[in-house]
Amino acid sequence: MKNVLMLAAVAGLVGVGLHSSAQTSVPKSCFVYVGPVGDIGWTFAHNEARLLTEKAIPGLETKFVESVPEAQAMPTIDKLVGDGCKVVFTTSFGFMDQTLEAAKKYPDVIFAHTSGYKRAPNMATYMADFYQIYYLNGMMAAALSKTGKLGYVGAFPIPELKRHISAFALGARAVNPKATVNVKWINAWFDPVKAREAAESLISEGAEALAFTEDTATVVQTAAKKNIPVFSHYNSMYKFGPDVVVSGQLVHWEKIYIDFMKKVVAGGYNTKSLQNVDYWWLLREKAVELGAQNGMPINPKFMARLKAVSITVAGKKTNVYDRVMALNADMSSAKPTFDPYTGPIMDRNGILRVPAGKVASIGDLNSMGWVAPGVLGEIADEPAK
Amino acid sequence: MDEILNALTRAASFGTPLLLASLGAIVCERSGVVNLGIEGMMALGALAGFAVAYSGSSLWFAVLAAALAGVAAALLHALVTMTFRANQFIAGLALTMLGLGVAGLLGKPYEGFPLSDTALEWPFTLGAGLLAIALYGVFFYTRAGLLLRSVGENPAAADVLGMNVALVRVLATAFGGALAGIAGAFLSLAYRPSWTDGMTVGLGWVAVALVIFTGWHPLKAVLGSLFFGVLYYLQFRLQGSVAVPTEVLAALPYILVIVVLAVIGARGQQGNAPESLGRPYRRGER
Amino acid sequence: MRFTPLLNPSRWRTLQVSSLAVIVALLIVGIVFALSGVNPLTAYWEMLRGTLLDSRGLAEVARRMIPLLLIGAGLTLAFRAQFFNIGAEGQLLFGAMAAGAVALFLPITPLTLPLMFAAGALAGGGLALLAAWLRQRFAVNEILSTLMLNYGAFYLMLYLIGGPWKGKNVRGFMYSDEFAAGAQLPMIPNTLVHYPTLVLAILLAIALQILLTRTTLGFELRVVGENSSAAKYAGLKTSSIVTIMALITGGLAGLAGVGEVAGIHHRLLEPGQISLGYGFTAVIVAWLARGNPGLTLLTAPLMAVILAGGDVLKISLNLPFRIVDVFSGVMLLCLIASEIFITNKLVWSRAVKPTGSGGAS
Repeated sequence: MKNVLMLAAVAGLVGVGLHSSAQTSVPKSCFVYVGPVGDIGWTFAHNEARLLTEKAIPGLETKFVESVPEAQAMPTIDKLVGDGCKVVFTTSFGFMDQTLEAAKKYPDVIFAHTSGYKRAPNMATYMADFYQIYYLNGMMAAALSKTGKLGYVGAFPIPELKRHISAFALGARAVNPKATVNVKWINAWFDPVKAREAAESLISEGAEALAFTEDTATVVQTAAKKNIPVFSHYNSMYKFGPDVVVSGQLVHWEKIYIDFMKKVVAGGYNTKSLQNVDYWWLLREKAVELGAQNGMPINPKFMARLKAVSITVAGKKTNVYDRVMALNADMSSAKPTFDPYTGPIMDRNGILRVPAGKVASIGDLNSMGWVAPGVLGEIADEPAK
Repeated sequence: MDEILNALTRAASFGTPLLLASLGAIVCERSGVVNLGIEGMMALGALAGFAVAYSGSSLWFAVLAAALAGVAAALLHALVTMTFRANQFIAGLALTMLGLGVAGLLGKPYEGFPLSDTALEWPFTLGAGLLAIALYGVFFYTRAGLLLRSVGENPAAADVLGMNVALVRVLATAFGGALAGIAGAFLSLAYRPSWTDGMTVGLGWVAVALVIFTGWHPLKAVLGSLFFGVLYYLQFRLQGSVAVPTEVLAALPYILVIVVLAVIGARGQQGNAPESLGRPYRRGER
Repeated sequence: MRFTPLLNPSRWRTLQVSSLAVIVALLIVGIVFALSGVNPLTAYWEMLRGTLLDSRGLAEVARRMIPLLLIGAGLTLAFRAQFFNIGAEGQLLFGAMAAGAVALFLPITPLTLPLMFAAGALAGGGLALLAAWLRQRFAVNEILSTLMLNYGAFYLMLYLIGGPWKGKNVRGFMYSDEFAAGAQLPMIPNTLVHYPTLVLAILLAIALQILLTRTTLGFELRVVGENSSAAKYAGLKTSSIVTIMALITGGLAGLAGVGEVAGIHHRLLEPGQISLGYGFTAVIVAWLARGNPGLTLLTAPLMAVILAGGDVLKISLNLPFRIVDVFSGVMLLCLIASEIFITNKLVWSRAVKPTGSGGAS
């Protein structure tokens, strides 16, 4: 009840900018990062979101700790709780078990963990996922290549990446049924040198457009040197290759953080109510965005080329540009009708993975071991059945 | 044919920073000073080069700044190991930490930005190749080279002959630092024109290994860098074409360096380390 | 100005000089703090408060001390034998993998934990032995081989956790399954201090000191380390001593790996998250102990305080994580540069003739 009153106070004071008196009502929120803030990848995005959340929630005080090794999540949380943190966000899958343990140890602190699946009355989970956007990027990539040969630089063969690669391949094959996605793994989230050489080897094998999942802008820079269309990942990398970045996926973690914190402040989210709170936010919730950079879904330089490629959808002729924009609008609407993982979908070995008329569940997507037809290259841990 | 040419092109590109850094280290070690601080010096060079280029100065100044950053770190190495006669191996490790740390701290404001005017790769590659030939000439056909080598082999004898051991070693160490710095600048100005903390990703350590691998010989360093570069590229090129896990391919360059060195060793053809490598020289001792 | 050797530097002088070096290092790092916008006194007070004056902080120091002590103690002897092992990272990972094999694929019995330690020591020792053998048989420099083998160990671990050893309950992420309870080390409650490994590390450091000072092998090692031509003259087999020291140094690094996975992680995971640079930091621990395994009981906690203190700075003052590298680098440079002041005194006149031998180097 107190919280609700305080929220009213906050709401009343925002307009006149006198939120200092309301500060006590907003719990101090702390972020545990797996990498350094300064990069352009995952942790950078979380940190940008933290700053935006601070702006959006008056009186919110935040704190972060960067480059926390997996073993150290617990001591770090201990220290943060000791410093007065009442909400703790842990932003890596590897922190899952320790976050759960901390949730038990500190029952009056609220926890939220990124990309995991374990929850508690005071621990929620959240994820912003890109698979829809990878599908759209795949369509554009195929449209921009003559041969349909596409390349993909991946960090580690985990479900998230298999989901992205497969969506990319499914999108590509929606435009060109013969399209292929050649995958090279660099076995690192951060290694610009490996990313460069992996991209070079894809290009030498004939890739005519590149996509990637790793934490640097290297693939974009390499594509820029060779003038090959490329799709930016995670944050806008348009400035690293304004002539080659076609589009890409952008994340808006702040959508989740702001929503979460608003509900915490309002009292809806408390240390008893989070057992079933799981954010799986996509285009519809605006947690992710199709774009070469914010507000630029498709680089205008490629508009003509994409419009020139026609495809037939449900008996109607359209072009790739319009189709991508239409699907983007549909999936961004309140009631999306389209999902890339709508069956029937076979894996690349011909095993039916999503039956006709069904859509892959979040659980399926989160534990994906298989990859879609058209994906080439080593795929570790590919299920035989 | 195209494949081979392409692999060699990649090896030359990736091998350039390795060659630059190992040539510098060869000169330094030929004078008797071990430098395990290359990784740190490369990081400092990469940052200094990027920062100067980013501020709008010409690329020449950027490369010069990178070299100077390397020299500064090298002079610290010389101060600690020569004036204070500290253990060279440990000083090098400390320098690696310090270099990575300082570059990381100072580099914060430069992270995540592209460079409007990027450098070309081939001038670095060509320069490194020519330098290797020049160093070969200097080492084995000039008085200066003889001086350098004798200081590394037998500083006491060199001293008796009136050579300034300390000066030679300081200059050689500084030269090594300058080249490590330029190797870093190659990365941040040409190879992948931007600055990110940790962007040297251990290449300095590979250079340390290459110096030993190539037997402290400048021309063999060219071959060594190309050898490693080809393998490094092939780990990606072969993915998907051979039924070998990607991790095994990734480990291959490192393992093959050992194997090749063992084969050369078994045939008794390894280059020898300078006799006094790693030993501080003090007049009148022994 | 020149250095003149002191014939018998006292322990008191060692302490004085080393303390002075630490103070100089603190002053230099203090400037770095000030430039980063943090009051140096605040920073040092936070470090102290968050490590030595706080039970949780102390636990963090102890946790980091365990691998540093194990690896560092082993390295002191390896360095004495002129075996420059910078592959402790890889040996630690080999130990972790061997422990993982026992925990994941053998039946869990009361002997599981001892078996994990034994397997880890063998695996780590084996990897170092490989480097020693390569050196003796093929003249492959061990700096090169141990450095390269680090990468080998790293990728082998990645391969295992991404492929054949990938867990069934990890939703496709790159982890092994969790070790059964019988393969997990007990901890001091509410900390990450796996005390059996801590006790083991302390005992081994003492045992190695005894080995060095009270046994024939130790005597031979000291002779080899100080003067290998004299050792040859005395008929000592340098190669067998190097072999034994390689086994010891690698074995202890392997034990450290067992401790990390059986004590803290309870599974195998991305190798960089396990080794965390301990193998390199331990080189410093060993060097600062000046070849005495027993002294690592002092130098390992020192480095552990710096590492744990760095975390405190990161959390409490939001300093970038790289501050730890700067701190360690400066501290180390000051300490090694100070060594000469222990064995020499500074003479400001130019007239002094260089003395003959004496002092140490």
